[in-house]
Amino acid sequence: MDTPMDRRRMLSAAALGTTAALVGATAFGSLAPEAAFAATGPAAGPATAPDLDAPDPNFAEGRITGIAGTTLLVTGSDKTLWRIRVTNGSSIWKLRPTTFDRIAVGDGLYARGARLADGSLAADSIWVNIVNLQVHIAAIGRNVVHFDHKGRRIVGHVVPGTSAAVYNSTPAIGDLSLLKVGAHIQVLGAWLPDTNEIEIATVYAAA
Amino acid sequence: MPLWVASVQPLLIAAVLLWAGVGKLAGRQSADAARRSALAQLLGPERAVPAYTLVGFVEVALGAALALPPAPRAEAAVAAALHVGFLAYLGYAKVAAPESSCGCLSAQRAPVRWRGFARAGLLLLAALAALTTTEFWLAAATEHPLAATVLLLAEAAAVVALSAELDGYWLVPLRRLKVRLTHPLPTGSFEVPIASTVEQLHRSGVYRRIADLIESDVREHWDEGEWRIVCFTARYQGRVGSAVFAVPRLSYQPGAVRVAIVDEETREVLLSLNPIPDPVAEAGWPVPAPA
Repeated sequence: MDTPMDRRRMLSAAALGTTAALVGATAFGSLAPEAAFAATGPAAGPATAPDLDAPDPNFAEGRITGIAGTTLLVTGSDKTLWRIRVTNGSSIWKLRPTTFDRIAVGDGLYARGARLADGSLAADSIWVNIVNLQVHIAAIGRNVVHFDHKGRRIVGHVVPGTSAAVYNSTPAIGDLSLLKVGAHIQVLGAWLPDTNEIEIATVYAAA
Repeated sequence: MPLWVASVQPLLIAAVLLWAGVGKLAGRQSADAARRSALAQLLGPERAVPAYTLVGFVEVALGAALALPPAPRAEAAVAAALHVGFLAYLGYAKVAAPESSCGCLSAQRAPVRWRGFARAGLLLLAALAALTTTEFWLAAATEHPLAATVLLLAEAAAVVALSAELDGYWLVPLRRLKVRLTHPLPTGSFEVPIASTVEQLHRSGVYRRIADLIESDVREHWDEGEWRIVCFTARYQGRVGSAVFAVPRLSYQPGAVRVAIVDEETREVLLSLNPIPDPVAEAGWPVPAPA
């Protein structure tokens, strides 16, 4: 059994092309777009027009009401009950890319994946407690930004090392000190369930 | 309560009413303010503007009457009644249209909150106090010039503090000054946030070439010297593997991004791409052009 370090070393070496790993039949060089499309798995189904008004069957949202093994039991805001299967291949975001053990009952989530025959959703990606808000900055305290969201107060916690800021659409940096009281910003973050508080992932601001 | 305290209250009420009324009648954006206010909900949008103007007239007339001699009890009674009406209006707005603006003192947008109620309540108390006397405010103020000035300034400061419309003039600059003096937010280390790496990855030719194969969001990432390794789940030729990207960590070189899709069970590399130069992406960060 590989240790996590061995695994990471192997994957790094593969990406950097310094690999000692086995190389399969298709390797190196450019991949033509046709090849990529041909490679996307099962052939397209019958050519029926999609129903654009129907809910997306491969998307789920709601609050986690239970965790059974690697299955999340989720109640949607429209009372839909979901079973969401999490696999090794599922990406999990909770303020940052994270692991299954960081998910807790009571968290909210958005999940995207593929519906299985038994009605459960095999998750490709899960975003836990993610929020995306347009706010004004009402006040700034020590590692805390108070937001005004449609007249309601939201407390945003800055997580040093994780929280990032995008100023004027330039690359994200860890420097949040250019945020100004009164400024209109967009903020991505992780909600702390049943509070008016979030942890800040990324803020988009003018500077 | 000394009599002079009651006697000078009409001046405070007059000042606030004149300010509010003149703003309603002469403000350039007062029609918009009327349509944004809860009046639009209460009376319908087409009647909101005339009603707003009417309130402005009443405020100016009553304000002028309070400011000028004589000082009959009737003026204070009308002022008290008007503020009871304002309180009722605020209560209605809070229940029926909580996100609408109060439209009280200026065209500045200010949703109905406790401060609006406190301000109307304070002015109602002032009007009730004024009911107890018929002495003109100027006489009382000349008798106790210093005390009257201090009291009126304190009351005016309370009205300003309770006016959300005026926060932009004193509260926001004060909070900005505090931020400038205390530097409460991290000024940043040399750590590059993962968001920045992912954005560079999205701009790389390699990512665009195989984006169709990628099924998940970022699964994990770690640093390997000059590189940041970012893993996704990908499906290639019917097999599920990890798409492992190597992205320059400390520089913006999307053309240098490399990728391998690896089956972690068998340690087999399913696909490996050399860097794909992309002159457009490498030319630098695109700057949004002015419209």
